[in-house]
Amino acid sequence: MSQTTAPQFLLQTRGMTSELDAYVVAARFSRDGRTVAFALGDGSVSLVDRTDLSQWRKVPVHDGAILSIATDAGASGFITGGDDGALRRVGADGTVTDIASFGMKWVEQVASFAAEKGKGLIAAGVGKAVHLYDQTGQKLKEWTHPSTVTGLTFDAKGKRVGASHYNGATLWFVAAKTDTPRKLEWKGSHTGIAIHPEGEAVVTAMQENALHGWKLPDGQHMRMSGYPAKSDALSFSRGGRWLASSGADAMVLWPFHGGGPMGKAPLELAGGDGIICRQVACHPQQEIVAGGFADGLLVIADITSSRIIPVAPPGRGAVSALAWSADGAFLALGTESGFAGIVDFSARAPR
Amino acid sequence: MADTIADTSGLIPVTVLTGYLGAGKTTLLNRILTEDHGKKYAVVINEFGELGVDNDLVVDTDEEVFEMNNGCICCTVRGDLIRIVGGLMKRRDKFDGIIIETTGLANPAPVAQTFFVDDGVKARTRLDAIVTVVDAKHLPDRLKDSSEAEDQIAFADVIVLNKTDLVTEEELVAVEGLIRQINRFATIHRTQRSAVAIDQVLNQGAFDLQRILAIEPGFLDGDDDHEHNEDIASMSFEVEAPIDPEKFNAWIGALLQDKGQDLLRTKGILSYANEDRRFAFQAVHMIADGDFIGPWKDGDPRVSRLVFIGRNLNRPQLRRGFEACSAG
Repeated sequence: MSQTTAPQFLLQTRGMTSELDAYVVAARFSRDGRTVAFALGDGSVSLVDRTDLSQWRKVPVHDGAILSIATDAGASGFITGGDDGALRRVGADGTVTDIASFGMKWVEQVASFAAEKGKGLIAAGVGKAVHLYDQTGQKLKEWTHPSTVTGLTFDAKGKRVGASHYNGATLWFVAAKTDTPRKLEWKGSHTGIAIHPEGEAVVTAMQENALHGWKLPDGQHMRMSGYPAKSDALSFSRGGRWLASSGADAMVLWPFHGGGPMGKAPLELAGGDGIICRQVACHPQQEIVAGGFADGLLVIADITSSRIIPVAPPGRGAVSALAWSADGAFLALGTESGFAGIVDFSARAPR
Repeated sequence: MADTIADTSGLIPVTVLTGYLGAGKTTLLNRILTEDHGKKYAVVINEFGELGVDNDLVVDTDEEVFEMNNGCICCTVRGDLIRIVGGLMKRRDKFDGIIIETTGLANPAPVAQTFFVDDGVKARTRLDAIVTVVDAKHLPDRLKDSSEAEDQIAFADVIVLNKTDLVTEEELVAVEGLIRQINRFATIHRTQRSAVAIDQVLNQGAFDLQRILAIEPGFLDGDDDHEHNEDIASMSFEVEAPIDPEKFNAWIGALLQDKGQDLLRTKGILSYANEDRRFAFQAVHMIADGDFIGPWKDGDPRVSRLVFIGRNLNRPQLRRGFEACSAG
């Protein structure tokens, strides 16, 4: 061995990993935080109870690839959409039930909102339509758009649903008696969406390696460009001080404070080796961001100090899924080649 | 820019199937799918219901043609294909190729451009060929009443001249003449009920820089005199003196910028001065792609060749422009 010390990766000391043999499309934690789900390209979901990270249970859910997954509005479980046209619910115990079927249309987008007393909302983007359901799967509304919905999200209060599409984004008001949405227009193909946690802005990813934003309520345009690749992963930090984004050879964080982001340079973290960042996820409690790269490297960074902590080494496929548990104690990751892991950040003596 | 996928050999081939409604596209598609080749294809269609498609993995889509804001005025892509390719790649180990059937009225340019413009699509797939099915009996009428029929022939690498049983030999020769006026470089297969060998349609490598100009039988044919009008024509040029890369880049760049809307497809093999390797070049409208391919073979004439298919082609101007790129 060489004289230099190999970097310590947290995944080795505080993590549990598995080879899932399929593209990891996304990872989500259940509302009660007990279960983590990895949605896979072979149509199955791999479920892990966080009190026993050694038990990975693969449950077949869709006949084809899973394209989207969201946390169920109920205490446990998940909502999945597949290229088999099905919208399904997966319980933490592995029980699969149907919510809706859309024939040949892909269910490309799923989003959810957990309200109080076990109530909540589920939204599914299918072609040009967004279907809205209550937590039981009872259909409430259907909204149509000028082109296919490419991104779907609830705002932090569950009052609005944002959908991205060609030539802009649309904000729908969940409780409105008559559906007159707020239309946010900007020419071009918008391929993903995020809403500021305090409702101060909507940001979309664009086909042309750039982000577009609208300040709310005035709708003032914001253009964030300079990415060498598509920036399709977007994550606001707690309180919305920063917007983390993928698509460059570093995590790119735009300041949504102090008059930013316009006229301000973004913060670039964990860059320098020319590998494109593919996934970002901001910590739900602290100003910490996790970033996954095309070579499989996963790091977390303290936004304030720019300190970088390596989590997973390169070599197991491009990072394609990244999720924090709501309490911020666990981080789940997955890659295009089927590698998956869960890292435990809770205070305890390392093994 | 850096990306994970460096090995181009692992790219999934994509065949684009165009042709007017009723020409026999779906019949050809079903022939491809049901032939005993042991391969699995993902099929993207959007006229579902007209004729059933016999395949496990069929994606029904709305053709969504999106403008790009990249300074290229004619640059459009199929937004739905970008999403679909991304979705299919999540299950990629389950099929060997993708076949995209376009609507009868579709212009093939947005489909082709998608494979040059979108990084995610480029990283995972390669456009193999554009196959156009035409109806031998009705093509003359179609060419009179629609520019799309002409575009579909102009873009084609392979033309399946179908329903030959419905016309006489003289009519067939006349129809082939019409096709050749538009596109001298595509391979034509005469068929009935779209019966063509699968290896004449799939894995053509028509957009492979390594094979540019290798399969066009019409290359050395005499040029037609079909110029200076709105009809599509094809032209080829040769320059024997070595080419200066800087001069060529400046000329072709300006030409594509200026006339890219009229230039449907451009292809070339260039002999650069002081360079032992061949430089291959291709463009769809304004979007160009080029790279060095293997060395010139001993004994082969080191001649630079360039082919244009498009509207309003000005032969003397193109010839002078190309010749002015010679080194020294």
